[in-house]
Amino acid sequence: MWRGIFVVFAKEVVDNIRDRRSLMVAFIYPLLGPLILGVIISMVSNVVRVNPERHVQLPVVGAEHAPQLMAFLKNKGVNVVPAPADAKAAVRAGKANNILVVPENFTAQFGAKKTASVDLIVNSSRLPGLIALNRTLGWLGEYNQIVWGKRISTHGVDFQKLRPLTIKNVNVSSGTHIAEVLLFMVPPLFIFNLFMGGVYLAMDTTSGERERDSLEPLLINPIERWGLMLGKFLAALLFTAAAVAVQLFAFQIAFKLAGVGSFSFVHNLNALTIVGIMLMTLPLMIAAVGIQFVVATVTTSFKEAQTYLGLLPLVPAIPGMALVFSPVQVQDWMMAIPSFSQTLLLGQMVRGESITLSAVAISMATTTLLAGGLLWVVAKLYEREELIFGS
Amino acid sequence: MINVSGLRKSFGSVTALDGINFKAQDGEVTGLIGPNGAGKTTALRILYTVMQPDSGAAEIDDFDTVSHRQEVQRRIGVLPDSRGLYPRLTAREHIRYYGRLHGMGGKALEAQIDTLVEALGMGEFADRRAKGFSKGQVRKVALARAMVHEPKNLLLDEPTNGLDIASSRAVHQLIRDLKSKGCCVLFCSHIMREVAAISDRIVVLSSGQVVAQGTADELSQQTGESDLEEMFLSVTGSQEGW
Repeated sequence: MWRGIFVVFAKEVVDNIRDRRSLMVAFIYPLLGPLILGVIISMVSNVVRVNPERHVQLPVVGAEHAPQLMAFLKNKGVNVVPAPADAKAAVRAGKANNILVVPENFTAQFGAKKTASVDLIVNSSRLPGLIALNRTLGWLGEYNQIVWGKRISTHGVDFQKLRPLTIKNVNVSSGTHIAEVLLFMVPPLFIFNLFMGGVYLAMDTTSGERERDSLEPLLINPIERWGLMLGKFLAALLFTAAAVAVQLFAFQIAFKLAGVGSFSFVHNLNALTIVGIMLMTLPLMIAAVGIQFVVATVTTSFKEAQTYLGLLPLVPAIPGMALVFSPVQVQDWMMAIPSFSQTLLLGQMVRGESITLSAVAISMATTTLLAGGLLWVVAKLYEREELIFGS
Repeated sequence: MINVSGLRKSFGSVTALDGINFKAQDGEVTGLIGPNGAGKTTALRILYTVMQPDSGAAEIDDFDTVSHRQEVQRRIGVLPDSRGLYPRLTAREHIRYYGRLHGMGGKALEAQIDTLVEALGMGEFADRRAKGFSKGQVRKVALARAMVHEPKNLLLDEPTNGLDIASSRAVHQLIRDLKSKGCCVLFCSHIMREVAAISDRIVVLSSGQVVAQGTADELSQQTGESDLEEMFLSVTGSQEGW
């Protein structure tokens, strides 16, 4: 029996290695996620990275009206430069991140110890604009407080008493720059790819085989139907595992090139970790191929199977996408949910948190149960005589 | 040897086979003929194990097609109605795949593949991938993979359908050769002259029932018709559906 299963497996592997589409899905598609993420990370890093050595430029209109403020800014290391002629257009076009406008009456108002106003032209739709806005507001706020403190102390009031709250930013992420948030896209991209890798094989070996009219003669050979199915199943599983491995190695290379090598996850993403991740997610790979086989077996045509299976990888990837923006605190019971548990475990690895053996055990056990159930269903579906017609 | 008794099969409200009985002996060619929808393909599908009858039994060399599926599968070579190939495998790889599924391997299998390639005149395209094969080439590959394990019983569904005259003649010769080797050949066709020319016995199916069986001469005597077409129309009682 095992020989027969191997014969089917070997034929499907050879057949699909010769198929450009199967190879694309298994070896080229997995590169896309790491490539895009790597490019975004390296771009964002360049925008966000604050270089303390370099003076930050702040274009100012009417700098001569507020010499004290300019002196304060220069003291903060800000390089005050004259603003372009059309300040608003320059900010809108991204030529300047923000521009400070000091009106002519500033000197008079400020000198009279009244509220003087300045305009800050910003473009909040651009990330560099937002970062510059945050920075400039910080300086202006600080200047505001200093002047205010001085003015009130002339009235004999201790200004510290009027400041009940001091806010300090304490960043607890183990990394230091914002680009690392993007690493949390790894789990959903991983899950999507895992559900995608073997999908072409699943369709080609089942609905494709039926559509080519080669399934009926194949079923007449002396091999149990479940054995025939298992041979095909293992071939699809091999391509899924190949896609997963290709993607993990591509992540490693992309992150190193993008310059997030100091981050613990990237640092730890060596061959051994990759093998570990693959073992941890093997039950999910089996379940993914199982679902693909169920859909490919019950649908009547290759096109119909393609319609459903094209959308399938999105479903398990959605929770991972949501977690990028609103992470949850991981509970043990969550480890009992196939696909979600792998998303969480991978998320923990990405964040550099340690994962517990019990969590991995629960995740693998429950997903193995699901995978076993799906395999049983596919084996039953292969026994039906409708198999040769579809439905 | 093929033995069919009381075979019934329905699909929903449609009765495809309504209790058919016939036998096909070793060393004989048995032609199964009937109008479209008469139940020929369903009968063959039950015989080659991809369908199960609602009642009745089909036996190949005394093995039941349901309870001894694999025993039956080892004893039959089938050219089914569906005879698609894998576009990315060569002709030789197709035959090798089926040979291995029958437990063959090594030099014995390669020798058998060479014999079939030679016998069916496949030398020119044996190592080409199947994509773009002509109908005749596809048919040859399908026949070769069906016979790789040298089965004693051959079930051929419309083996010459769509083939040109030369290819059809080659298939006829192949069937005669199999017969002379003592094989039991059961084939379906809607070409009456073909059935009469190469069959030892003819089984006529109509509306899921066997309406006549015997040699061409016996059928001619039963119906009183000497013209083949008239004879068949007479026993099936139908002017349509051929």
